[in-house]
Amino acid sequence: MRDADDVIANVRRGMLPAHIYNDAEVFEAEKERLFSRAWMFVAHESELPQVGDYVVRRVMENSFIVSRDQSGEIHAMFNMCLHRGMQVCRAEQGNASHFRCPYHGWSYKNDGRIVGMPFHKEAYGGEEGFARKGQRLLPAPSLGIYNGLIFVSMDPDAEPLEDFLGDFKFYLDYYTKQSASGVEIRGPQRWRVKANWKIGAENFAGDMYHTPQTHTSVVEIGLFREPKAEKRKDGNTYWAGKGGGTTYKLPPGTFEEKMSYVGYPDEMIERMKEQWSQEQVDVIGRDGFMISAASVFPNISLVHNWPKVAEGDDVLPFISIRQWQPISADETEVLSWFVVDKEAPEEFKKLSYKAYLMCFGSSGMFEQDDVENWVSLTNTAGGSMARRLLLNGRMGMLHDDSPVVQPLTEDEFCGPGVAHVGYGEYNQRHLLNEWADYLEKPAPVTENIHVGAPNVDGECSSETAAQCSSEKAEA
Amino acid sequence: MSTYIPIDSASSPLGQDASKTAAVGPSLAFDDQRHLTAHRWLVEETYILDRQDYDAWLETLAEDIHYFMPIRVTTALGTGYDTAKDMAHFDEDKYSLSRRVARFDTGHAWAEDPPSRLRHHLSNVRTFATENENELVVESAVLLFRSRGDVLEPSLLSVGRVDLLRLEDGVWRLARRHIAADESVLRMQNLAVFL
Ligand code: FES
Ligand SMILES: [Fe+2]
Repeated sequence: MRDADDVIANVRRGMLPAHIYNDAEVFEAEKERLFSRAWMFVAHESELPQVGDYVVRRVMENSFIVSRDQSGEIHAMFNMCLHRGMQVCRAEQGNASHFRCPYHGWSYKNDGRIVGMPFHKEAYGGEEGFARKGQRLLPAPSLGIYNGLIFVSMDPDAEPLEDFLGDFKFYLDYYTKQSASGVEIRGPQRWRVKANWKIGAENFAGDMYHTPQTHTSVVEIGLFREPKAEKRKDGNTYWAGKGGGTTYKLPPGTFEEKMSYVGYPDEMIERMKEQWSQEQVDVIGRDGFMISAASVFPNISLVHNWPKVAEGDDVLPFISIRQWQPISADETEVLSWFVVDKEAPEEFKKLSYKAYLMCFGSSGMFEQDDVENWVSLTNTAGGSMARRLLLNGRMGMLHDDSPVVQPLTEDEFCGPGVAHVGYGEYNQRHLLNEWADYLEKPAPVTENIHVGAPNVDGECSSETAAQCSSEKAEA
Repeated sequence: MSTYIPIDSASSPLGQDASKTAAVGPSLAFDDQRHLTAHRWLVEETYILDRQDYDAWLETLAEDIHYFMPIRVTTALGTGYDTAKDMAHFDEDKYSLSRRVARFDTGHAWAEDPPSRLRHHLSNVRTFATENENELVVESAVLLFRSRGDVLEPSLLSVGRVDLLRLEDGVWRLARRHIAADESVLRMQNLAVFL
């Protein structure tokens, strides 16, 4: 990447080289150093309720089959046949105990193990010429699950998912643990936008400042109880662990009153109270902040909002998870899921789904205007003038880097991390600083995996050595 | 030839109250008055949609309209479904459609300001009688061409539609529209337009 040191130094002081939003070299560096290491969301367990259920998802251009095997365990397997590399599964979703490669017919169990090779003896000389034992579709180098959210990392030595998420787990629970049963997630809607993937992540992480302008129309048609989009500035933005987000300041009242103000029925409020820690309850009840949009580094975002779904004054909350799946420097596939508490009443699920469709996703009235901005920005960032421009990303920070408003104290906000009331670009800077950290690290070291043949040291090479030797012993 | 309806309101979380009227028998002859009426209705509608005269469009919708465009997914032959369960791009009633239209009238709906240049190319229209002489089922194909600004590539959306037209007080209105997108990943930045 050209002038990498300059780019990173500028990003770190909040001055953003405009071309990072549309630059093929920057994108190559992201592929090599960031997406090769960070934890990436692929699916939620509720998308695989039965044994044999699978979905096919990508991490960049790598296709993975995410499946629940016959014993109920979740796997993420590289969707490439070990023989000549055909894509083993070409459906997006379904239920299967086995996957058979259409090219020459090798077949695999839904945990990835090879179970059939046509003419194994005649073609390979049997087990001696090609050891089937221990061979399986390549598992994702690392796999982690939190609240049913399945992540993979392309780095075999990735830090554990929970360490990666860190204190952001506190906030993730608001969206994905509203009862002991967790959530069910539906979708995704998928569509492609000619925008750089970072813009959505930054926007959801902390851009309260765009709401009054970008989303004027949604307020004007009376979709919200609050008549003014400026309400936003009374909320705070927080950053903790690998993620950060925005909140709304709610009118005074107890936890129960505040939750019912945004439209949760009593029974759901009771369950949330049981699920959440005292601090999690206090962020809403005592401090009066309701979680709204958020992003987890690098490329997933969450949103929680409460529009009107019918004539009248009642509002209804919805939650969505979305992923900004990078296609190139200037194109992103958006995957957007609707999320709802499994134990929510049926009527609530229905209206919450309606609220989601009206606001977010491929046809959502909020999202439409967001994407319009992002596409336009990306396009302009591709030109030579953009290479001269350092955008000011220092909102909320004075000349000497001190904050315009002091962070909230523990008495004012009991969630983890650092929180500031009002408009600021603290979180966007956090996100881009993480980005810079990854871009400064070299790509992880990976090893070749030999299929069916002993490697140079004469050892089995797929799977762990322990498993390999136990299967050798079996054979 | 009878009609194959891959998508129906009952498979949608919000379509339970939609009309269940089904097509009966083979498609009507092209010189059948009912086909001519339905075909003309659809052609007129494409001009309203291309003009983006959405207030006029709302007028053509019945009060109990269900406007439904599920997510298409790629599944193996014989799986028995090719739309996502309980998830759609559009799953609309008159209220939510009226909010979408009201938004365009605010002057702040940036996704369509400046407006796209739209062309709904309509074809393959066939009409079916139903058990009710005031209701017709009409199938059509639409290729939507959409161009925005002066530098971006235009986008295309190909869909099949199954509509229910109903004669109410002497006026034909759209009482149901099922839209089958021909892509699982839409190559369009949003659906701030109607199909
Ligand atoms: S490529 Fe899969 S069996 Fe040959
Ligand atoms: Fe927004």
